Order: sequence, then structure tokens, then C-alpha cells
Amino acid sequence: MNKKKNSYFLAALALVPIIALSGCAASTTNSEESITIYSGRSESLIAELLDTFTEETGIEVNVRYGDSAELAAQILEEGSNVQADVFFSQDAGALGALAKENLTRSLPTDITDLVDASYKSKDSQWVGVSGRARVLVVNPDRVSKFPTSYRDLMNPIWKGRIGIAPTNASFQAFITAVRILDGEQAAQDFLTAMKENAVVFEKNGLILQAVEDGVIDAGLINHYYWFELANEVGVGNMKSEIIWFEDQDAGNLINVAGAAVLSDNPSANMFVKWLLGNTAQNYFVEKTREYSLTGVPAVAGLKPFGEIKAPKIDLSDLDSLAETLELIRKAGLL
Amino acid sequence: MAVSAVLISLIPLIYLLVRVATIGISEIAELIFQARTLELIINSLLLAITVSVSAVLLGSMQAWVAVRSNLPGRTVFSVLAALPLAIPSYVAAYAWIAVTPGFSGFFAAWLLLTVGTAPLVYLAVSAALVRFDAGTEEVAQSLGATKFQVFRKVTWPNIRTAAVSGGLLSALYVLSDFGAVSIVRYDTFTRAIYNAYRASFDRNQAAALALVLVLVTVLILYFESKAKGQKFTTGKIAGRLGRVELGAWKVPMFLILLVLATVSLLVPLGSLLGWSIEGFGSVDWAAVTGALANSVGLAVSGGLLTSFAALAIAVLTIRHRQKLTSLLERSVWLTHATPGIVVALSLVFFSNQVVPWIYQTTLLVLIAYLALFLPNALAAVSTPIRQSPKALDEVSSSLGLSTMQTLRKVVLPIAGPGIFAATTLVILTVLKELPATLLLRPTGMETLATRLWTETSVAAFSAAAPYALLLVVLAGFPAWLLNRAIRKDLEPMEMERYQ
Repeated sequence: MNKKKNSYFLAALALVPIIALSGCAASTTNSEESITIYSGRSESLIAELLDTFTEETGIEVNVRYGDSAELAAQILEEGSNVQADVFFSQDAGALGALAKENLTRSLPTDITDLVDASYKSKDSQWVGVSGRARVLVVNPDRVSKFPTSYRDLMNPIWKGRIGIAPTNASFQAFITAVRILDGEQAAQDFLTAMKENAVVFEKNGLILQAVEDGVIDAGLINHYYWFELANEVGVGNMKSEIIWFEDQDAGNLINVAGAAVLSDNPSANMFVKWLLGNTAQNYFVEKTREYSLTGVPAVAGLKPFGEIKAPKIDLSDLDSLAETLELIRKAGLL
Repeated sequence: MAVSAVLISLIPLIYLLVRVATIGISEIAELIFQARTLELIINSLLLAITVSVSAVLLGSMQAWVAVRSNLPGRTVFSVLAALPLAIPSYVAAYAWIAVTPGFSGFFAAWLLLTVGTAPLVYLAVSAALVRFDAGTEEVAQSLGATKFQVFRKVTWPNIRTAAVSGGLLSALYVLSDFGAVSIVRYDTFTRAIYNAYRASFDRNQAAALALVLVLVTVLILYFESKAKGQKFTTGKIAGRLGRVELGAWKVPMFLILLVLATVSLLVPLGSLLGWSIEGFGSVDWAAVTGALANSVGLAVSGGLLTSFAALAIAVLTIRHRQKLTSLLERSVWLTHATPGIVVALSLVFFSNQVVPWIYQTTLLVLIAYLALFLPNALAAVSTPIRQSPKALDEVSSSLGLSTMQTLRKVVLPIAGPGIFAATTLVILTVLKELPATLLLRPTGMETLATRLWTETSVAAFSAAAPYALLLVVLAGFPAWLLNRAIRKDLEPMEMERYQ
């Protein structure tokens, strides 16, 4: 009896902070005029934009931030109890994974018509909302002759000097582009050479930092990482610079961050359309230094979107991604 | 309570089996038996073995110096030995990379994880040494045993259980770690699991790989039970404690501990301080306060919940030792090497299938902590109960007390320090936990760890550093308490020595 009393007391003790905590969390209401967004894009880049959305439309936003792929896995495990109205993903792959399991809703044409066909899913399951270019960052003090194609990096002179992030979705999309444009063999040869030459990193940001620190001499990253770091430390203090390859080179592929609607909440479609409107597109250009997909001119210092002679590739081609992964894995880089 | 806690800890395993059942055997075999998978398993095992062995050596040495030697400054060193526990390994990894660009590979991972997990061994062995009656050593010595023989035959058997279970925690931590190894670019098996999610969006494949980790864990548990032995002391608590004269070893030992403190504390804390000074200007203090309150709330409730569940299991298994109960106890360890992301997804799956109303509530987050950290709490709770003579129970029942009364009047007071140790240990581990908190928290809830993650996912580490520093300071408090509680029994003995 005594022990029982004791354990009730202990259980009650454990419950006190739980109750205190659930009090804090109770502020997330689910009224009609609110949407829940799962965002693979980071809070520091996006929170301000979402606040603006609420200000302009009066629609409350509940956001859950996370890694795009992990959020996609979470949505898949939620199954029939999906909590999110919108999935805002860092890359097309995670959106495609949800579309493949029939978790996305078809988008109306007034949304899909806003974006060029290469930057949305073929069957209107998701749209791209901002673009990012693959570029090479180099330390000009340590590299005398700039490469003009990703293929130049296969040369043994690059051994131990070039950084890549094979687990990164943008890198994988680049390899898919190589396969489609230059053939399977070219992709395989490139990856084999990278196994020899490249230093492998987990994230684009770490590659750039390593180039800045002089650990490596060049790295394949997304363009906006350079601008972010330049913004933090000052352009004058950057040791590296951005290099573009020759026209149509797979190394200058354009990837997108995009969104898909997961529920019947009408505010969800409204939000996605708003992301393609002027306020949001200007925000992407000025704040995150990405490319607008609806024609807003790029930020100063960045090559204009129209001047990038990027190769055309269908980002929604997912079966193709599986083959890419197989190649990367075979090369021993995954 | 014991049974439901064990069942909760088995949810991840059930989930893995459900996931794997959806793919064909041949596909699984193809996945597992490819050269790359085997290479990664070998990498992981190599790291787990070298780290746990060096953590056992270092941690035991620190414990012995702090408890049994006459080294000047041993009290300070004892605090320094426990504190690295407060530094999340991914934070230490970032700090080291900043100080030594190019810090990477096997050696880097080994160094980070060794100094990060040695405190687990240090705390366990210290607790065992404090309770150990040094009189037996003197007896052995007076009977003509050499110093080495005394250590091997008398001291080691008494700290062996503690050292080996500390080593087990270290090994399983290494197997499950993703943050530190990915930052220093050492390829382990966990990375293959994360890649299955991140690159292939294939949770079934990830589950098949995670199941391999469970099998590896079973193997490790088997060797651990062999290494641990069944002997444990029944010596009286607070026996006499002789201090060993270090003599010529004083200076080298002092230097070794100094180097260790530099590696494990000075470098990470120095970097954090440097960054924080840069980053303090941009800190949003309202956000910090909210995150701080949530961190503390979650950690304290998680700590209490987990340690009482562990107590229930410990009492059941140690006092009623049967095949079934020890199976229960062992089974909580099975998924301890499973990466946090897998455990978190298993709870997403489980709650949505069975109890949708707890999904994305604080309750589910706490359940996740229970599933993740029950083994840590169990290890801490078990030691004092195991060391208390069972005869005490028998005496109390022969005096006419009921089982419940015996539990309350005899077992609980003995287990008190263990419960305290388990609670503080889980509190500090929860403070650092990221993947499960990130996935399972109520939408919009922030903790220090999630804020830290948010700030590091962009390039700027200076913005993240104040959160990291606050987290370390906060987690340092339970680490310090833990060390103090263990050493509390030392003080009266010290007094005795000078009388």
C-alpha cells in the first residue's frame, strides 16, 4: 500500500513539468484561417517570409522545421494522419518521394502556369519556388588556371584539392544531369575520378568553409552559400570566388526548392501561390540570394538568371535519381 | 511500470521488423551483403572497439586518481573528468574543426568520442571505487601480494562490472552517433542509415540497415556479459579508504590529466566562447529564454520518468532474478545503438497507428527519451542495488516487514543515490538530444538543442554559439552534481584519515 502511494507521488511529481510544458505548447490552434507547414528550409532563412505572409493574408502559420528528407520520412510515417497542409522542401527529390506515395494533391493551373516546365512536376504534384545554381568556388591564390568544365576536375592535378558533398541532393541532381547530358559512362568516369581526387564533406557550407580555411582549393556547391558567408564576414574578407563553367555544362545545373500541398485546406493552395507572387520572389532574391523563377532580376554581384546557359533537365525524374545513387554508391562515395 | 517501460523501449525494434517485412529477403540480402555495407560495419566496429577500450582505460584511470590517489588537485580533476559529458559531441566536433582545419578521419572521430564517452566510465568506476573497502587490498598486500597482483585480484574484480558497463555505453554511443562522425568525415554505418533517408528517401532500406545495428548490439551485449563477470562486492558501504602514494608518478599523471582536460574541455569551450563573443550581438533573448525553459522542462520530466522506470526494472530484475526478468532487462539494450532518427520515426509510426492523440505532444517526446535513455538510467540505478547485500532484505522480512515495506524502508534508501545519478544523467543527456526532439516536439516548440540546430544549418556558427554555450553550461550543472554526489561519501572518509 505504502509503495503504491509512493509511486503515485512520484508519478505526480513527474507529471508536474509535463503539464507545465503542455501549457506552453497549447498556443498552436487549428482554426480555419491557419495552415501547418513542414519546412525543410531553415528557419533563419524563411521565418521572416512566413511572418509577412500572415501579415498580408491574416492566415496564421504553424511551422515545423527539419531536414527535408527527414520531414519527408516523417510525413510518410504519419500515413493516414498527415498533419501538414504544405511541405516546403529544400529540394525536388523529397517532394517527388511524397508524390510517388500519393500523399500530394494536384495543384491548380493558376499555380503551375507561373513556373517554367523544367521547374515543376510533370503531373502538377509540386512546383519549384526558387532556383539555385551549382557553381565551383575556388581560391584564386591556389588555382592558376580555372577549370572550364566539371570534367577538368578529373585531372590528377586536383588530387586532394577539390571538395564535394555526395550525400547532398543538389550534388546528386548534378550527377543525374551528367548522366543525361554526357551518358552513363561519363558519369561513372567522373565519380571514379572524384573518389581519387575529392575530399568528401557532409554539407555545402562545410566545403566552402574548408576552401576559405585553405584546407582545399576548390569545391562544388550551390551559389547562395558563398553569398551567405560573404554577408557574414564581408565580401572583402572572402578568399574564394565563384566560377561558372562553359555553356551547357552539367556543372552549372539549376536546382529548385519547392512546395507541395498535402491537404484540402484552401489556405494551402493560397500559400503556394503566394510563394510565387512578387513579395516572396523578391524576398528570395534579396534575402536568400536565390534566383526567382518568375522573372525578378537576380541580386547584384550574381550572374543574371537568363545568362546562365544551364543544361535543361527534368528535375521530377525520380527513377533516374535511383540510378544516380547506384552509380555514386558503386564509386564508393555514398 | 517495469513491463510497460520495457515495451516502450521495444517499439523501435517492432517498427524495424514491420518496415523490413515489406521488402523481400533477396533485396535485404543484396543491400546488406554489398561490399560498401560491410566496409561501413567494419569501420563502425573498429571505432566502437577502440573508443570503448580507450574510454575504459582513461575513465578508470581518472576515477582511480580522483578517488584513490594523493594527487594534488584531484578534486578539481574529478570535476574536469565529469564535465565533458555536458558537451554534445557535434559541438565538440565543430569546435575542433575550427581550431585545426583538416581535423578529420578515424583519429579525429576516435579522439572526440573517447573524450566524450570516458566520463561515463569515470562516473561508474568512481562510484564503485568509493564503495569499495580498501581494507581488502591491505590484507592482500600483507599476505605478500605484489601491487599488480593486488590490482588484478582485489581491485579490478570490484570495479570490473562498472568499468565494463561504462564501456558498453561508450561502444553503443559510438555505433549510434551521427553528428560527430559526419562532421569529421569518418564513414560509419550510421551514415549509411542516414543516407537511406536523405538520398534515397527509402525508409524500408534504412530499417533493414538499422536492424543490422541491432544484431551487432546483440553480439556486443553477449561479449559484455562475458566480460562483466558475475562477481560483485558485498563489502560495507563507506569502508575504509586508503590513499595510494603516487610518488614519482605525480608529475606525469598531473600532465596527462592536464592534456586530457585541454582536449576535452578547453578546446571546445574556448571555441564556443570565441564565437559567442562574436555572436552575442545577434541573439534574440526572448527566444533563448523560451528555449531554455522548454529544455529544462523536458529534461527534468524525461529524467524523472526514465529513472523511475529504470528503478522499477532494476528492482524487478535484481531482486527477483529469473530467466524472464533478466531477459526483460537485457532487451532494453537492443535498440540502444539505433540512431535517434530511427527511434523517432518508429514513434511517429507507432503513435499515428495506435494512439494518434499523443502525436506531436510533449508526452510522446518524453516516451522517446524513455526509449532512448532507459539503458543509461538502468546502468546507474542498478549499481547500488546490486552492491547492497541481499541479506538485508532477508533480515527485514524475518523481522516481519512485508515486501512493500522492505522495498520502501530498505531498498529505496539504498537505491537513492542510484536514482539521483540516473535522473541527473538522463537530464543532461536529454538536454543534448537532437534528432528525436526535432521530429517529435509539438509544432513550434523550441529547445536549446533545436535552436542550436537551426542556427548551424546555415553556415554561421557564431549565431549558434551562444545557444551551444548555454546548453553546455546548463548540462554542466547536472554533470557537476553527479560527480559531487558520487564523491559525497568520500568526505567523511577523508576526515577519518586526518584524525
